[in-house]
Amino acid sequence: MLLRPLLLLFCCATPALADFEDTVKLHILPGYAAFAETTQALSDSAVKSCDAESLKPAFNAAYDAWLGVQHLHFGPAEADGLSVAIAFWPDPKGSGAKSQRALLLGDAAALTPENFPDQSVAARGLTGLERLLYPATPLPADPCALIRATTLDLARMAKLINDNWVNSYANTVLTAGDVGNTTYQLRPEVRQALFTQIVTALEFDKDQRLVRPLGSFDKPRPERAEAIASGRSLRNVLLSLQALRAMVVTLTPDAPLTLAGFDRAIKQATALNDPVFAGVATPQGRLKVEILQQTISALRDTAMGELGPELDVRVGFNAADGD
Amino acid sequence: MATRRAFLAGLAAASLPRVSWAEVGSPACLAAGKLGDEFVLHGLSAVGESLFEIGLPARGHAAAAHPTEALAVAFARRPGTFALVLDCLTGKTRHQLTPPEGRQFNGHGAFSVDGALLMTSEVVAETSAGRVGLWETAGFTRIGEWDSHGIGPHEIRRLADGRIVVANGGIETDPNDRTKLNIDTMRPNLTLLSAEGVLLDQVELNAEFHQNSIRHLALHGEGVAFAMQWEGDKTEAVAQLGLWVPGQAAQLCPPPDTEAFAMKGYAGSIAVSRDGDLIALTSAPAGVVMLFDGAGEWLATHQRADASGVAALATGLRVTDGQGGVWNYGRDGLVRLTRNATQWDNHLISLT
Repeated sequence: MLLRPLLLLFCCATPALADFEDTVKLHILPGYAAFAETTQALSDSAVKSCDAESLKPAFNAAYDAWLGVQHLHFGPAEADGLSVAIAFWPDPKGSGAKSQRALLLGDAAALTPENFPDQSVAARGLTGLERLLYPATPLPADPCALIRATTLDLARMAKLINDNWVNSYANTVLTAGDVGNTTYQLRPEVRQALFTQIVTALEFDKDQRLVRPLGSFDKPRPERAEAIASGRSLRNVLLSLQALRAMVVTLTPDAPLTLAGFDRAIKQATALNDPVFAGVATPQGRLKVEILQQTISALRDTAMGELGPELDVRVGFNAADGD
Repeated sequence: MATRRAFLAGLAAASLPRVSWAEVGSPACLAAGKLGDEFVLHGLSAVGESLFEIGLPARGHAAAAHPTEALAVAFARRPGTFALVLDCLTGKTRHQLTPPEGRQFNGHGAFSVDGALLMTSEVVAETSAGRVGLWETAGFTRIGEWDSHGIGPHEIRRLADGRIVVANGGIETDPNDRTKLNIDTMRPNLTLLSAEGVLLDQVELNAEFHQNSIRHLALHGEGVAFAMQWEGDKTEAVAQLGLWVPGQAAQLCPPPDTEAFAMKGYAGSIAVSRDGDLIALTSAPAGVVMLFDGAGEWLATHQRADASGVAALATGLRVTDGQGGVWNYGRDGLVRLTRNATQWDNHLISLT
């Protein structure tokens, strides 16, 4: 019980340590650069060959890189719905597969670099490409042109986000509080934005990536897990947790409980040995996924209680309690 | 007894001077908020300056402004056990409104054109059946109630001709803790009442959208623009904006699919510019404000942490946020006007 007041006292005495320059320079910019590089490499590979097997390593490298930045739902990635188009999931009505089928069977003009960005977000991005590289049932037509269009579009979107961060948005964030900065008129607004990303991302890992396949005890829904075809369901949770932990480290040296919570969750995820959460259909396997879900839930609460005060922010007054 | 009390209250009120809005600085809008641990109601100018500040005993939700007199009715948050009639000159509470036994206020209210009648959105606590409470405004005594013809009414708007539109949100809640009890079977509706409370028209959404709670309203042409909060699967892309002209079907206005999840399925407030050209919706959970044209076509999405209040003034749209910011809003996005130490709460109410 003594821990909280002591920690609060400590953090209040050293507010300058908790800030976001390092987050931009060591987390956000390298993350988007890696995503731009890996998607470019993926697109280059697809130009050489659209053989699914040979593209899978580059696809997984790009997907891994995306999980390093997927939690950053602000700034350039949110413009024109780019983050939605890069990874459209969940898609309970299967609209991505439907749109893709139409693209495979339809007029090739939709696949040109000019027209493809206007196609349905559900059909594009990493989730779209996964369906082409790991088809559950034979595709209705040769996917080569669509694979090339999708990878080129991914590289385009990644470059757009990265260029915007490098050329302007990093400066917008780093000059928060300066006269003339209309996006962030106070430095705490940036800390608030970054804190919100962490909390929201933990909620997504828990409420979507884990709860969707868990379903209910009577009706587990393993088929609803993310990225089953490529066997990435658990890997996506693990990489998300690792990216969020790395982000916290850049924000403050004083969040020991939060970091311990991340370590616990990462350890459990690493030990889970159930790559697509198929185990949720069995009582034993289900228990393991539920334990990870509870650990992430507790981690989210710890971050709210410790990291928020440490950064001197909280979830918004209205966001926390609307009506 | 009720008659005698009403008579005495009326007498007391009659003895008080009638103060016009001009005498309190001609505020353009009212906003509730939180300053430190205190809750307050402010009158704001069109450029976001605070003209007066009145302490509230608890967190307010929305306010209703008397059309001519400088009286504001501040509604408590749900489950609302009180509303206060505030004298905006003295800051004093003129009247405390308490709903009748077994009724609860639901956060919003509206005055009649002449200011003689206050209508409050209410529920029968045990069932969430909707009522419109009626209060005369000389002494603010209860004079009756109408059926709202739905469950869980939230915002009430008076059309220019005096008819009333009620957003029946459809959600039955536990009378004590706001726990939602009927999400699987909820059926929100929009109800049009005559100025005398007679049911004139009603519209529901298509069955697939029965979990889209219709909660907030803004006047729009011959009808209303309405804002919804999705209680269904968060992975489904549903509209947060709709338009309804009585006599016709409701029209939903989803943004393009790149923006389908930008509001996180939640619209907290809505306003239509006075010229009818722009519609703005806020989503504090998503930290965005979304702009549509007058026909409900999406124009832009703007990021602003904890943005929630939005109102249409004669000089354009204004947005307030939970960091105390007051913003001018339009096709050029958000332009900061002021930043107050008060954290602005859910709604910004324009004076007409």
